[in-house]
Amino acid sequence: MSSPLATALIDYLGALLLFTMIVILGSSQLYRTIYAVAAQSAFLAAAAAVLAIATRNLDLWVIAGITIVVKAVLLPWLLIGVVRRIGVKREIEPVVPTLLTLAIAAGTVVLSFQLAASLGAVRQTVTGNALPVGVALTLLGVLVMASRKTALAQMVGLFACENGIFFTAIAVSQGMPLIIEIGVLLDVVLGALVMGIFVLRVRSSVDADIADLSRLRA
Amino acid sequence: MPGAEAVLPALAQAALLVLLGPLVSGVIQKLKARLQCRAGASVAQPYRDLAKLLRKGTVQSDTASAFYRAIPPLVLAAVVCAAAMVPVVVLPAAGGFTLGDAILLVGLLALARFLTALGALDAGGAFGGMGASREMTVAPLVEPVLLLVVFSVATAAGTTDLGLIAARRASDPAVWHSPDLLALAAMLVLLLAETGRIPVDNPDTHLELTMIHEGMLLEQSGPGLAAMALASHTKQLVMMAVVGALFFPIGLAPRPEPLLLVPAALAFLGKTAVLALFVGLVESSYAKLRFFRLPQFLGMGFLCAFLALALRVL
Repeated sequence: MSSPLATALIDYLGALLLFTMIVILGSSQLYRTIYAVAAQSAFLAAAAAVLAIATRNLDLWVIAGITIVVKAVLLPWLLIGVVRRIGVKREIEPVVPTLLTLAIAAGTVVLSFQLAASLGAVRQTVTGNALPVGVALTLLGVLVMASRKTALAQMVGLFACENGIFFTAIAVSQGMPLIIEIGVLLDVVLGALVMGIFVLRVRSSVDADIADLSRLRA
Repeated sequence: MPGAEAVLPALAQAALLVLLGPLVSGVIQKLKARLQCRAGASVAQPYRDLAKLLRKGTVQSDTASAFYRAIPPLVLAAVVCAAAMVPVVVLPAAGGFTLGDAILLVGLLALARFLTALGALDAGGAFGGMGASREMTVAPLVEPVLLLVVFSVATAAGTTDLGLIAARRASDPAVWHSPDLLALAAMLVLLLAETGRIPVDNPDTHLELTMIHEGMLLEQSGPGLAAMALASHTKQLVMMAVVGALFFPIGLAPRPEPLLLVPAALAFLGKTAVLALFVGLVESSYAKLRFFRLPQFLGMGFLCAFLALALRVL
């Protein structure tokens, strides 16, 4: 595959990743954010596949496959399972108003583009806009985690944040060593499992939400 | 001053948009009916409604001022003028349309919106006032989105003239960059908002507390109502044509010759059918948003448009 085509495709996928991020930030339905983060992971796998063809790096194929299986199917399925189990309210209650979150998101994206522009030498030819988009995705994932009250909605933010780190890594360095990628993925899966069990346990034993756990009592 | 050969195609295209506007509404209605397992009215029903309204007399509220009667023709005129800015089947000659650019189009649509709200307030009905107030709440969220999308595309094409934008993008397929994806997403949100479709407004309800656009038309009757309805049908098709001109300028005829016009017209019908299908599917599968949730939905469109511009400029 020619390099300009790969760059263009990565740019398109970056725009789609940003779009799914906007859906996660702006929608008020828990299910919709989970589907959006699943779609985001699928786009991420497509980006990995494009880079795998462009750089003839076999490891990236493996990473794309694992991303599809784990992040686009397994983790969303797990999240939806937890949502069904605890019968949580499906509407997201943001800590700050959603419009304000969207405004902060706009500022964050501009900031990450400015940041990436100052790193001129790091921006490589094949990656196009991938570095600023990846940084923006990571920061927006943190924003999602910071602006949501329930643990499940924060988990969606964690996955989105992880997707951003992943996108930055594969686009800037054309793939980290496979063992590191798998290690990171295992971390996320483990984190999701722990958080899922935690949410279930907390819900079943004290019937409280994460937002209620702000104060320790003797 | 542009010559007749520059103005005539623009006027012919505006006439085409006005004539086909009700048909698109009819097709969307039919599609929705079929999706709900109803037979539905014929696709020509909007035309019949217009013909019926034109035969009726006008009933006017006692409190309405003399300006009230002038409002429907003015709204229709503003929308028809906006329709003349959009390339539908023919690309402009080398010098561009010179009738007006995308910013004038946004301004004319804003003028139509303002006049509609003014008429609703003038009649003095409670529903009209509520509809006008809501329309004016939605407007500042909708208009900047269209402007941002236009700026994002215009930055790439180097002009704000819709005809020239379409011509540049049609001649060079590589102009489709990644920001266009986000701009298109914003434009689709905008299409639903500007045409008063379901997540934003419900075109089927009358006398409900949720309505926006229909609420403003409650006090209109007879030919005046026909003009307002025709204006909203036309506005819908104008927005669809703007989407086509900005993002899919394929198949536009470079010169007004019959042999080139036929495929161009077919391409236009195809694009419009796809957008009508999109609107019909969204209308059938989503519930109307609560009014205070609207800023959130439109804010997503705004952010998409903003990022489309940011990706292009930064």
